Amino acid sequence: MTGNARRSGPPWSVDLLADLHAGLLDPREEAELRPLVEADPEAKEVLAALDATVQDLRDLPPLRMPDNVASRIDAALAEEARRSAPQPTGQPVAPVVDLAARRRKRLGWGAGLLTAAAAAVGLAVMVIPNGGGGEGGQQAQPPATTPSTGASADKPLAVRGNDFGPVLGDVLKAQNYGPLENQEKLAGCLRGANIVAAKPIGVSPITLDDKPAVMAVLPRGAGTKGQFRIVVLDPATCGPDNPDGVLADSPVGPN
Amino acid sequence: MTAAASSDADLIAAHAAGDPHAFAELVRRHRDRMWAVALRTLRDPEEAADALQEAFISAFRAAANFRAESQVTTWLHRIVVNACLDRMRRRQTRPTVPLPEAGPGEPVAPRDAMAERETHLVVQAALNELPEEQRAPIVLVDVEGYSVAETARMLGIAEGTVKSRCARGRAKLAKVLGHLRNRSASANVPADGVNVRQQRQWEER
Repeated sequence: MTGNARRSGPPWSVDLLADLHAGLLDPREEAELRPLVEADPEAKEVLAALDATVQDLRDLPPLRMPDNVASRIDAALAEEARRSAPQPTGQPVAPVVDLAARRRKRLGWGAGLLTAAAAAVGLAVMVIPNGGGGEGGQQAQPPATTPSTGASADKPLAVRGNDFGPVLGDVLKAQNYGPLENQEKLAGCLRGANIVAAKPIGVSPITLDDKPAVMAVLPRGAGTKGQFRIVVLDPATCGPDNPDGVLADSPVGPN
Repeated sequence: MTAAASSDADLIAAHAAGDPHAFAELVRRHRDRMWAVALRTLRDPEEAADALQEAFISAFRAAANFRAESQVTTWLHRIVVNACLDRMRRRQTRPTVPLPEAGPGEPVAPRDAMAERETHLVVQAALNELPEEQRAPIVLVDVEGYSVAETARMLGIAEGTVKSRCARGRAKLAKVLGHLRNRSASANVPADGVNVRQQRQWEER
């Protein structure tokens, strides 16, 4: 016996019987108790109740991870894989497609060139210079991203240059449309850039080179498993009629 | 390439060798079970999703150091469980969101399974009421079917502690679920504990 007030007889201590049921008692104690339990209907009733409880727990149905959670985790792992992949010597970390060239060629978002670049390095970001400045687009810059601990009204996630990777995890966790307010306004901005996408996996206000922006991680739809798309919008100008409200557009993840 | 028939250990090895798809495949294999553990332990879908994301990223980074002394699933579970426990400790006083009654996490119920589904909800509700230190081992041992030894390794506690916490938790559940009649014997069960199953039966009358 354990020395406490647990009774090994009617009325039985349920704790003692639960310990016996769980295999917690030492062999000698169990050997002493078993015959007493077997001879007592009340004790057997308690053990049967514990058995029924365990059966109820075993019968709980398996759960399936919701698709949005699975997508979010796939995206985070894809980004982690990209970041941990060895970079070819002499190659920029994240080659940037010249926006002016894109405009001249009128490539659609996520067109073949970008996809090929993405396939090579996992992530390529198209940076669109804001307004009239920055002719010719930015060339690849050293990653100078300043991740913050989380997007908030006081301190949005801050990004410099074109390395969105460090803030991706925080954006994936967020459903904060910031100045765009809601899914409809976001969808309008995406439509303006000819981007058709379902609800974002994650969305958060950020600052891009100190300017307010909204970053969304979008699913890429059926047939493109494992791929996602980062889109950064200028909330001051983007809309259904403005194709230039998109500041960056990038595929993420292995093909 | 990642062969669909590869073992978990093969996938870990492929990941360590630089296969960019191997770890994602490993996660895809086990994510439903990990989701069940996280959701049933944390009781909040958002928290569960955050904990899993953290855990999988952590596992991704640590996988190169994985040693085949334990099964891959046990190793992965331990990382997930630790992420959940960390979150539980951080949120001690925060209220939790009850599990949704139905949704994408629930398998489609056959048309004659409504009563069974209600029973599952009652059991889940009772499980949610357990103290966290008892709920985690009960989820792992009784719901997910892990051995006491595996559970002890995942939780970082002694096997006897796992048994003891399971025993306390089962005694409470047995009463709450109506398997154990209210008796004078002490079972560390709140005297005003609600018999959920009986209450539901009364409501249905």
